[in-house]
Amino acid sequence: MVRGRLAPQMEAAAQAVAERVIILVMDAVDLNVMLARIDLNAVLRRIDIEEPIDRIKINEVLDRIDLNALLAQVDLNAVLRRVDIKEPIDRVDLDGLLDRVDVNQIVQQVDVNEVIAKIDLDAVLDRIDMNAIAQRIDVEALVEHTDLGAVIARSSSGIASSLFDAIRSRTIGVDEAIARWVARIRRRPYTGPPGPPTGLRAEAGS
Amino acid sequence: MTTRAGEAMPFKPPAAARESFQGHYAGFASRFAAFVVDVVVLTGIFMLALAAINFAASILTGKSIDFNRSNIWVVIAYFAWVFIYFALFWGLNGRTAGGAMFGLQVLTGDGGDVSGRRAIVRTLAFPLSFLILGLGFLGILLGDQRRALHDVIAGTVVVYSWDAQAARLRYLSRSPSSGARPAP
Repeated sequence: MVRGRLAPQMEAAAQAVAERVIILVMDAVDLNVMLARIDLNAVLRRIDIEEPIDRIKINEVLDRIDLNALLAQVDLNAVLRRVDIKEPIDRVDLDGLLDRVDVNQIVQQVDVNEVIAKIDLDAVLDRIDMNAIAQRIDVEALVEHTDLGAVIARSSSGIASSLFDAIRSRTIGVDEAIARWVARIRRRPYTGPPGPPTGLRAEAGS
Repeated sequence: MTTRAGEAMPFKPPAAARESFQGHYAGFASRFAAFVVDVVVLTGIFMLALAAINFAASILTGKSIDFNRSNIWVVIAYFAWVFIYFALFWGLNGRTAGGAMFGLQVLTGDGGDVSGRRAIVRTLAFPLSFLILGLGFLGILLGDQRRALHDVIAGTVVVYSWDAQAARLRYLSRSPSSGARPAP
């Protein structure tokens, strides 16, 4: 009888103690240290990744996880350095997995501003060859297919200028043909019209 | 953007105009074509002037003046006019009418503007390139700076003064397909 009266109270107390202990343990555990001690590659090799993935309702799990808090606790770079990412990825049916993931929902949970704030844009830009990108732009197609062409057209005069443009262009074409022909006779390579004069070159550079 | 109905299609520049040659030394064809235009223009102006003088004389005196090529004064006046035409335009801004039409400009060897004195020297030396059987023009074909004999004597060069690439972009912007095609 006494035991019957005390049992619910003891269970409640035990549960409270257990919850408190779990919180204390979680606070005390350094996730990074723990992850550092685990041979992640060995673990990943032993797991049949497909089987648990199939059983998990990923979207429900993702709903319950505070991704920002989780990501803040883990030194992802250190983890990624230790993991042979290629091997487990090869084993995962990524297409099947991604079909089941609601990407929009994940993205909504992530604080994009915080992620961007962590990125060193200067370092990223230093690694980009802007000249190479600029060279890949087809300026002619850009002008032909966009309103940029209209801007250029508005800034120039009418049919008379286009007639002069054509005459000049054709004569330059003849100039180039003659120069190539002369270079061939002289057995010299031709790389385009020479110049400009030093003064003009300095002007263009300033 | 599309070409409006009734609007004339611009003339298509050749592929050579994909690059801007602005400031580069001009080639033989452009210079020769510019010279031909100059000769046509200055001869036309001279003929008009003679016709005007003849008209004025016939009104004032009742007699017309017979201008022909055998008249030594007409020949002297013509060459004087040729000298003034070239020296004046080269000295003003390095461009004659033909040069402006073909986008050419006369500059000093280091890219500066041609002074009046240099323009006069160039004009006086110009006939020399013809008088030695045209050999004075070989430098345009063979020289690194495409200079004729009169350029060497006057210390000048002839450069393209217009942007061929900009002209091609203007052409593309006016073509019917411009802006009409949907983005891929």
